[in-house]
Amino acid sequence: MTTLSHGPSGSPGSHSSEEGDLVAGPAAPPPPGVRVRDLVVVYKTPLGELPALGGVGLTVDPGTITGIVGESGSGKSTLALSLLNAVQPPGRIASGSVEIDGLGDVVRLDGDPLRRARGRHLGYVFQAAQNSLNPLKTIGKQLLDLGRSHGVADLAALVRDAKDLLGRMGLDGARVLDSHQHELSGGMRQRVGIMLALVLNARLVILDEPTTALDMITQATILRIIREIHKERGLTTLMITHDMGVAAEVTDHLAVMYGGQVVEHGRTTEVLGSPAHPYTQGLIRAIPRLSGDITKASALPGRPPTLGTLPKQGCVFQERCPVRMDVCATVAPPPVTTHGRTVACHATAAAPPLDGRKEQP
Amino acid sequence: MITGTGITKTYKQRGDVLGSREVRALRGVDFAVPRGGAVSFIGESGCGKTTLGRIIAGLETHDSGEIVIDGTPMTPLSPRRRRPYFRRIQLIHQDPYSALNPTRTIHQTLRAPLELRARQTGRPGSWIDQRAGELLSLVGIDPGYVLGRYPHQLSGGMRQRVVIARALTVDPEMLVADESVSMIDVSMRLSILALLKDLRERLGVSLLFITHDIATARYIGDAGELYVLYRGQVVERGLTESVIHEPVHPYTQALLSAIPVLHGLERPGRERVVPTEALDERHADEGCLFARRCPFRTERCEKELPVLAGCQDSSHEHACFHPQRRAVIPVEAVA
Repeated sequence: MTTLSHGPSGSPGSHSSEEGDLVAGPAAPPPPGVRVRDLVVVYKTPLGELPALGGVGLTVDPGTITGIVGESGSGKSTLALSLLNAVQPPGRIASGSVEIDGLGDVVRLDGDPLRRARGRHLGYVFQAAQNSLNPLKTIGKQLLDLGRSHGVADLAALVRDAKDLLGRMGLDGARVLDSHQHELSGGMRQRVGIMLALVLNARLVILDEPTTALDMITQATILRIIREIHKERGLTTLMITHDMGVAAEVTDHLAVMYGGQVVEHGRTTEVLGSPAHPYTQGLIRAIPRLSGDITKASALPGRPPTLGTLPKQGCVFQERCPVRMDVCATVAPPPVTTHGRTVACHATAAAPPLDGRKEQP
Repeated sequence: MITGTGITKTYKQRGDVLGSREVRALRGVDFAVPRGGAVSFIGESGCGKTTLGRIIAGLETHDSGEIVIDGTPMTPLSPRRRRPYFRRIQLIHQDPYSALNPTRTIHQTLRAPLELRARQTGRPGSWIDQRAGELLSLVGIDPGYVLGRYPHQLSGGMRQRVVIARALTVDPEMLVADESVSMIDVSMRLSILALLKDLRERLGVSLLFITHDIATARYIGDAGELYVLYRGQVVERGLTESVIHEPVHPYTQALLSAIPVLHGLERPGRERVVPTEALDERHADEGCLFARRCPFRTERCEKELPVLAGCQDSSHEHACFHPQRRAVIPVEAVA
């Protein structure tokens, strides 16, 4: 289980009191915190039920923008779906809880309350927004469908809010609402996705690979918009990505996932500046960069585990770990939190490499 | 040595009610890849980089211009006579999942081109399996493990290595790698890039690296040249380190500015350039192709098309009327 003791103060874009023009309304609730406890999600396979999430703990402070970074098979998308209680068969949430302020334990919600929570409380921006839009209907029609399905009384106000949001993101709102998805570029569709996630005033927003398949310059634009909207509307934002750079650019907190576990979690600048888990260290070394000595970039040996190749016991990273110890083969390292940084590693716990880093006041 | 001069390619896009529209994928591109060298083409989707790669690999024809392979111009040759030249240039696809035949084992996949190769070079049949093993070892995988397997039984990284091994069956002079790591997990990308680098050093194969990711191009081609393509035109060209650290074209600068900053490790460059509007390929072709989006445009840019010209000498060229160095790339944060 992961716990975080630090508050949101000092993290950029985390103050709900600094909302700009797009305040959700006079009675806008504060951004919610999220507490995931011992979450186990299993998938049914020919080899039996295998865990995609093996007891994940993650505390997301209200008002933060947190990146969840991992490679394929790390469980990051499963975690994101769990926050909506939307894990589909052959997967299921086997145990654990997902507490969201104002909603309670999402794992226990179902039927109508769950459907209402999605959209009203939780906004989800899907990967490749073109796949989540209906190709036969204009964006405006889809917006009205969304409003009706959530019982919005004042549809005119909804359309007005949608136009404001689109305008805020640099688009001609009226024109976009009149368009079909094929008439919009990738970057425009992604902004439509963000609009649809926010228009019902969700306070917790989950973005799943929001910039995959976008060009570099479009990506930079979308990332800037995500950061600004997060700040202006006082949201709690979670961003799922495989791209460390994308997470680094936008987030104030970073959770690194590997083999169905959160192996490291802390402030983004600290996780990047002094990574503590050997996987995080390897991942950062494996990023080719524009400055510095390019020959220092080095590959992380081995490959990420799949459901079938996860070690049966011990640490999920043991097979690729350069500082593996005997205990790693048998005992899963428990997450340990010091100075707002959570790390699940026996070697780090034995000799914290955080020494060189400046102590937080 | 492979050179191209004035390569153009125009696609007719089958249009809507308003009729068809022409897309000028390449507008007269010059390039040179020296034997054993590494050259990168970078740009966003639609810039023409993939088209150029396919033309160089002989998979597509160009409209005008000339490609010269080891001193022989290709245009006068019949398609049949061209084939042996282009066979020495092998394209490595972006998607290792669709590049391999799913119904064939890796052994069968490698055997077919090797049989041909054995016939061409008069080698005995026993050479084929031996060579298949050698090639797999060369790309860093255990032949005993993969030979009998099908593609779906291998990870993305392994498949990409098999694709590279297959390209090597014909003893190519050049590998054209088009976004060849973009579909591979982050922690394994660098090992594939390192392999390509290593093959260049050990076998003397030249590398044409096509990507949108400039940092990756820097890793693979740090000693070679970098070409920045925009809407079918080379807008900046020079030694990789020079273009990345001293870019003078505003488009190159915008591209470099868009690369996410690893806060905690880096600080953003002081003069990051942001285009004034999004790319619209329907923009008029008059004047500089980047003018509409350029924060530094002048009247001249809207009327006249700048051509490649040297900064100080021809080792670093740009196509801009107002070239100016700007500090756009991130700076190391740690002292």
